[in-house]
Amino acid sequence: MSLSHLRLMLWVIAGFVAAATAVLIWRQSQPQQAESTAFGTMGGPFTLTGTDGKPFASSKLNGRPAAVFFGFTHCPDVCPTTLARLAKLRRQLGQGDDALSIVFVSVDPERDTPAELQTYLSLFDTPVVGLTGTPAQIEQVKKQFGVFSRKVEQPGGGYSVDHTAAVILLDRNGQFVATLSPDEGDQVALEKLKRAAA
Amino acid sequence: MKRALFPFSAILLLAACGQNGEPDIQLGNAWARPTRGDAPGAVYVAINNKGAADDRLTGAFTDHAAMAMVHQSELVDGVATMRMAGEINIPAGSRIEMVPGGTHIMLEGLRAPLKTGDSFDLVLKFRKSGDRNVTVDVTKAEQL
Repeated sequence: MSLSHLRLMLWVIAGFVAAATAVLIWRQSQPQQAESTAFGTMGGPFTLTGTDGKPFASSKLNGRPAAVFFGFTHCPDVCPTTLARLAKLRRQLGQGDDALSIVFVSVDPERDTPAELQTYLSLFDTPVVGLTGTPAQIEQVKKQFGVFSRKVEQPGGGYSVDHTAAVILLDRNGQFVATLSPDEGDQVALEKLKRAAA
Repeated sequence: MKRALFPFSAILLLAACGQNGEPDIQLGNAWARPTRGDAPGAVYVAINNKGAADDRLTGAFTDHAAMAMVHQSELVDGVATMRMAGEINIPAGSRIEMVPGGTHIMLEGLRAPLKTGDSFDLVLKFRKSGDRNVTVDVTKAEQL
């Protein structure tokens, strides 16, 4: 084998290695499929029950971005405050109610029947998609979205529910975009909404 | 002349008492969002202590609900929690305004759901100033 042949072969090998490396890097940089619920993913398709008592598939949310909040109707402070804030942010976005779905998922399915949810959400002068389900369905969706909740007994009877406070922002294809934290400024939150709605 | 001086000195004495460390609690801007069904409500109140001594908010009650409790919402590791608050100090000369997502008066067992436009009386209990009444206005649900 001549020296020039060897050089050519080395170049071919180098080219092959470079191409393989590029493919590997490209594959790692791709967003993971939301269909999988493996560690590090967020969201994915689900079916719950709407306020009309009928099954609600998450694909119904597709076509516009969604701000998804997990809460419960017997929540007097944090939940209505979050919904009021989302209503305000949607107004500030200035593209009408169709530009963003506000979705309220119950973490208290025992108390929050579809009718109860409907009654609660009708307090707001703005459309909110209310979702509940069986405790098992809710557990599954919580897991998909990395949401925590737990019942806390109240002195004097009854219970409250501790729950993840962040709002999960999905794009028009149901892909996770960002979370909105209750302690970040409205301006920061609005920028994220603009990005999701772009 | 002496007779006229007596009430005047009494007023002076009272005024001096105020300066010597009495709290002067004034309540205002009390509001709550509407509720439905048997869900609890939350009242937010501004407490102004214009006096020269601290006072403490120890509790609350109202004819409108079975229970009124001083509550505290907190964000712990991204999780929203709600607990009974202890006594809340209202330092002399300070103003404390309850805002959504923090301290509030939770009303459990409402006699009737709170309706936008309604108002009702709430009593806040203070260690030194005793019971103080405030009128709560029920706002729209979107109030922040």
